[in-house]
Amino acid sequence: MIVDVNAYLGHFAFRRLRHNTADSLLALMDSKRIDKAVVSSASAITYRNAQAGNEEVVEETRAHRDRLIPLAVINPFYAGWQDDLKICHEDFGMVGLRLYPKWHNYSLSSPCCRELIAAATERRMALSIPIRVEDNRERSWLLNIPDIPLEEIVELVKAHPKASFLLQNGLGYTGCPLGRKDNGLPSNYAIELSRLSALLANEIGQLIANLGAERLMFGTGMPFNYPDPAMVKMEVLDASEADKEKIRWQNATQWLRL
Amino acid sequence: MAIPQRMSGLHAPQQCISRRTLLKSSAAMTIAMGMAASATAEQPVPGVSSGPFLAGKVLDCHAHLTHHSRPTWEVDDRKLIDAADKLGIDQLCCSTLTPRWPATLDGFRECNQWTADGMRRFPGRVLGYCYVNPGYGREALEEIRRYTGDHGFIGIKLYNEYTCTEPVVFPIVELAIELGVPILHHASHSHYFVEDQPRMSDGGHLAELARRYPEAMLICAHISGGGDWEWTIKALRNASNVFLDTSGSVTDADTVDMAAAVVGVDRLVFGCDSSMTAGVGKIRGAALSAQDKQKILGENMVRLLGRRKA
Repeated sequence: MIVDVNAYLGHFAFRRLRHNTADSLLALMDSKRIDKAVVSSASAITYRNAQAGNEEVVEETRAHRDRLIPLAVINPFYAGWQDDLKICHEDFGMVGLRLYPKWHNYSLSSPCCRELIAAATERRMALSIPIRVEDNRERSWLLNIPDIPLEEIVELVKAHPKASFLLQNGLGYTGCPLGRKDNGLPSNYAIELSRLSALLANEIGQLIANLGAERLMFGTGMPFNYPDPAMVKMEVLDASEADKEKIRWQNATQWLRL
Repeated sequence: MAIPQRMSGLHAPQQCISRRTLLKSSAAMTIAMGMAASATAEQPVPGVSSGPFLAGKVLDCHAHLTHHSRPTWEVDDRKLIDAADKLGIDQLCCSTLTPRWPATLDGFRECNQWTADGMRRFPGRVLGYCYVNPGYGREALEEIRRYTGDHGFIGIKLYNEYTCTEPVVFPIVELAIELGVPILHHASHSHYFVEDQPRMSDGGHLAELARRYPEAMLICAHISGGGDWEWTIKALRNASNVFLDTSGSVTDADTVDMAAAVVGVDRLVFGCDSSMTAGVGKIRGAALSAQDKQKILGENMVRLLGRRKA
């Protein structure tokens, strides 16, 4: 089984996405033998009212909840986020959130964000944090959204030891405490592999050695990305089959309490 | 590129993935989807009789050997070959770049010596590009003649010392035409000024150079190298003598598909530029026929290298 923890539905403001409806994403997943995908709204990254994107995703996934697992996008600086969180969790059955602090222009250490993380943790909702949405060098002339510095993530995981984070679309973890062995940080975060190397520097192999395979998850970034590069990583990864199974799906099902 | 010291896979036993399995499986997948497969195995390329290149081979058109100032250079070069083995890449077209730019005369000379050394260490696997700084004029031209002649280098690598439309670059292009070898030119297009690469070339510059020299064989480096690849592809639509190298770390869906639709598969050449699984995965993921993928993976580069003049 393969569970992709890094997938999206909807539109992105600056580039056409194909396979961005439930039906077309499922067809792509079938062609790649991906069983389940954790999806959130790509549109909500630039919608002012992110909840509209959550409503679209819930509608799209309604008939496919066995394979498409929706996450909510919540902006803790937008009016009514507490209501949105409650609706997403209780009415929509969403088991986690995706946060975009740079795109939504807030700090991970701000009181509002801390309040959101505490509320989500209280509900036992998982927290997914994309380090980036797209490569900054291809950005539109309209904006300049930086990646989230990993130092900010270090402080985040320390500040919320009971939360359950997934870091995605990132790399360079082995160059900071997040990817080091015995780093003194709570083991409340996992790392998704779509931008990590499996050859040459082999950051995935290093992370398995330093943190354990339990802390890594398979993700593609589809439909922003071709899913195939992540799949090739798994094929060439120098790891035991037991570890690969953890990465392909077992860790994701635990993280999301599926 | 920073290479962390801990390399867990370096001395690990070879996995049970046969050479070429990964890339060949993309063709197998295409066949499974009902598309006709081409005969890809080790057949001579029609119209190309010179050189050691065979159709069915997979060539990475954009690779680098490690500068010897890095203590781990020998291990790093071996890792590159091991990665190519795992992914089914037969040959890597390599240059060695200086760690700082602009490259000095001594700097690019020692780089080319090391590339030649790499060709000897990995015979048949490493093909050499001669890297020069065009600002060195006569010395740069002599370097290209020496390495394409005596050492059998297959082309020229130009980086960001000059924008490719500056007149100082023209003698290099004219020599490449005389020799019948391609120029792989560093390029990217961002919608802001890239301060650390003020003379960066982009697809528009390469298209302009191509119009000036229609006989030249130009390769626009890494369309997935981080800039706006849609801009780059559109800028090169009508530049028929510019090939687009698919390498780069960005794995945006549709990159290869759009490039194939806009410029045609005959002008795409496969590359990794050290992003190995990204390079292979993008080709595997593109919605193209097995025949078209085979062109990108090797046939187009073979054909390009076959134009070399004696």
